[in-house]
Amino acid sequence: MQRRIVVTGLGLVTSIGTGREAFWHNLLAGCSGIGPVEAFDTSVYRGGTQGAEVKAFCAADYLVHLDPASMGRASQFATAAARLAIADAQLDVSALDPERAGVSMGTTSGEPNEIERFDDHVVEAHLERIGPEFIASYPCHVIPARVACEVGFAGINMTIPTACAAGNYAIAYAFDVLRSGRADVMLAGGADAFSRITYTGFARLGAIAPDICRPFDRNRKGMIPGEGAAVLVLEPLSQALARGARIYAEVAGYGLSCDAHHITAAHPEGHGAVRAMEKALAHCGMPSDAVSYISAHGTGTPTNDQRETVAVKRVFKEAAYHIPISSIKSMLGHTMGAASAIEAATCALAILHGRIPPTMHLEEPDPECDLDYVPNAAREHTVHVAMNNAYAFGGNNSSVLLKRCEG
Amino acid sequence: MDGREICNKIKEAIAKISDIDVADITDTASFQDDLGLDSLVLLEISVDIEIQFGLEVHEDDLKQLQTVQDAVEFVQQALLGQV
Amino acid sequence: MERRVVVTGIGVISALGDSPAALHTALCEGRSSLQPITLFNTDGLVCKQAHALASFTPEIYLGKKNLRALDRTSQLVTAAATLALDQSGWSTEMRRQHEVGLVLGTMFCSVHTISEFDRRGLTLGPNYVSPMDFANTVINAAAGQAAIWHDLRGVNSTIAGGITSGLHALAYATELIRNGQATALLAGGAEELCFESFCGFERAGLLCGARHGAEEFPIPFDARRNGFTLGEGAALLMLEDADLATARGAPVLAEIKGHGSAYDLSRGTASHQAIDAIARAMRLALQDAQMHPGDMACLSASANGSVLTDRHEAQAVAVVCQEGVSHLPVTAVKSMLGETLGASGAMQTVALLAAMRDDVLPGIRHLAQVEEDFPLHRASPSNQQVQVRNGLINSVGLDGNCCALVITQWNGI
Repeated sequence: MQRRIVVTGLGLVTSIGTGREAFWHNLLAGCSGIGPVEAFDTSVYRGGTQGAEVKAFCAADYLVHLDPASMGRASQFATAAARLAIADAQLDVSALDPERAGVSMGTTSGEPNEIERFDDHVVEAHLERIGPEFIASYPCHVIPARVACEVGFAGINMTIPTACAAGNYAIAYAFDVLRSGRADVMLAGGADAFSRITYTGFARLGAIAPDICRPFDRNRKGMIPGEGAAVLVLEPLSQALARGARIYAEVAGYGLSCDAHHITAAHPEGHGAVRAMEKALAHCGMPSDAVSYISAHGTGTPTNDQRETVAVKRVFKEAAYHIPISSIKSMLGHTMGAASAIEAATCALAILHGRIPPTMHLEEPDPECDLDYVPNAAREHTVHVAMNNAYAFGGNNSSVLLKRCEG
Repeated sequence: MDGREICNKIKEAIAKISDIDVADITDTASFQDDLGLDSLVLLEISVDIEIQFGLEVHEDDLKQLQTVQDAVEFVQQALLGQV
Repeated sequence: MERRVVVTGIGVISALGDSPAALHTALCEGRSSLQPITLFNTDGLVCKQAHALASFTPEIYLGKKNLRALDRTSQLVTAAATLALDQSGWSTEMRRQHEVGLVLGTMFCSVHTISEFDRRGLTLGPNYVSPMDFANTVINAAAGQAAIWHDLRGVNSTIAGGITSGLHALAYATELIRNGQATALLAGGAEELCFESFCGFERAGLLCGARHGAEEFPIPFDARRNGFTLGEGAALLMLEDADLATARGAPVLAEIKGHGSAYDLSRGTASHQAIDAIARAMRLALQDAQMHPGDMACLSASANGSVLTDRHEAQAVAVVCQEGVSHLPVTAVKSMLGETLGASGAMQTVALLAAMRDDVLPGIRHLAQVEEDFPLHRASPSNQQVQVRNGLINSVGLDGNCCALVITQWNGI
């Protein structure tokens, strides 16, 4: 009998709120974290001025052991989210065996500010300004490493940088680790910091919307790069029950696939996305009509949203028209490696509270996107099973299924 | 710069970016049908053209450029416009 | 009954050869790939040597077309994948019918591409950056490019754990096959040599030869060691569900028996904690393999010439093996390959698999003097005749990550 794995804590650092309560309240209220980019000057960019940055974030408010100055921004987000998650789970870390407590984090860029500073020094011909902190702070595996050091988890420590699907991959991995009995608790999630490199790239691809993110809307013009982090506390059900933990949801299973089609564009018929969804359902032994809510990848680009709709219809057929599907990127922008972790947390909250967030700014429906995207207002909706979909550059597709925990 | 020069520079850019031999790129070759260039490669070529000729190729312009000949005419017009 | 995971093919692009046999021959001949760097300008750098691929010609493995889309790291991975797919017999047609995945370990993927992309934006302006380069700035780009090239539609993942990336990737892939999420996966690691990472490591004082009078070559475990040298390459193993592999008549080269990992919260700064974490990873791997330290025929050490980590690893091996440590033959291939970072664990695994063929464990190049309490008595500069029926492979990171893998000959039972 396979161990059942549940979510008992959520920690969030986002452009619409830090901490589970603020985040959930603002998400349901349709708040937007999108605005003019402050991190750098976008006036010369032909293709973008808006971003979804985390404002007024002070890591020192959350960290206990580590000095925020010793780490980059993504690590600050991740460690803060980890602290928040542990507190939310009311997890007594001192009662844990630290060797059986692990961390699994996803990211797209790691610590981009570190390489950007390096590049500034190179371009200015000041190599001597590059110090030892570059190699200590830049590589993306620093993110879960810092989390481990902050909270004292000495077990498995994993970094899965599968770009915009990374959060889901990290959660799937943590799920497997717990199921196989190699750990008793895992912190799993994703983190990414606002990045000049990422912004410049998406702007050059013409992928950034000029004003707001309108997933599935007929006039959608693109995505809005963002930043943030989410960390989920995952543990075996038996342990959660034994310590009287609040259980948000159960992680039922997942499916991963690869398009093997194009490095930036998804398969036109969504083959990889279909397979990820089908694999996830098969992994859980669930029929497609068991799903009561889908958290879409929903970036707001013309192609993603159309292809994603095609893929959902392929998997769910007629039932697709009856499953609400929303994209919270309409409010948070695209937080890259954090996105699917934030979205997984959203699914867990939806299951616990019986409410689903809206897809904001959906004003004019697109005939090619004709599903129920929960337009513009949150809704009461009993969620038994939520599917969290995320797709990335390189054709990395993922679907994670969370379900209401019964008994 | 005359049309022939522009055409050669564009063909060289295509060759460099797509690994297609210059000799295999005709003046009227269609980017998609004849040369099999996808949108990412075309975007790369357009950036190269921008840098080489000192002009801007906007998203809407790029959508209209279907062949080598289209690109040559675009550059010629853009350069004339700058005079 | 847990599914067993076997190796059915190997693809290696290393500075000492592009086949396991060539690599093994070079290691046994004590050849080092350390050369003056020509890949990039070393002005402003104190260290000038590395273990670069002397002449990597991607066309040999990939043909002439469509290479521009692949940067160096992507080319290394895609080329290694070509070799592994050929050896394991996974034809184009078979890959069309059945999903084969890819799990790639890498520390940076393409920090050179990332940096070039960014620097071009700084010098020419953000509107003149390269869209194709941007596609390769994500850390999962190389795994994605190789998947596109070879139609690998199974689980595709990228694992970043610094030096431990490659071994972590092998462990991750092993678990996916054990739990039924995959049946065939290319798994291993890749890292390119580039100015950005080289400069970073030099600035951190981690490279050997940076101090005047210090040896400029890596000497794992030696008392004179003063740092490591950087290398590059890619090593991928085709891992498969044993039942399915034998059913399709695949060549079975070895079995992945066990893996273990741990994190050192002191990040290498507190010796006892560091030793404990490395020992834990090894113990977990042995437990997972249902084997004992005394069962191990040999050890492939992670040792790369780093002053502290080499010592920590040696002590950890002693803690795990107890009295048996004096009988355990040890090799340290980074003495000749250099530190290939994300590729290293997979490189070590390939080298050990090659050693299984002729039962010769390569010596540790230049090893001459050891510290007084050095416990690994069978770490030798000379080749050792060892019946390599199995091996324990270590990967020890610079900042806390520890991973270990147990591989055994396949007995078919």
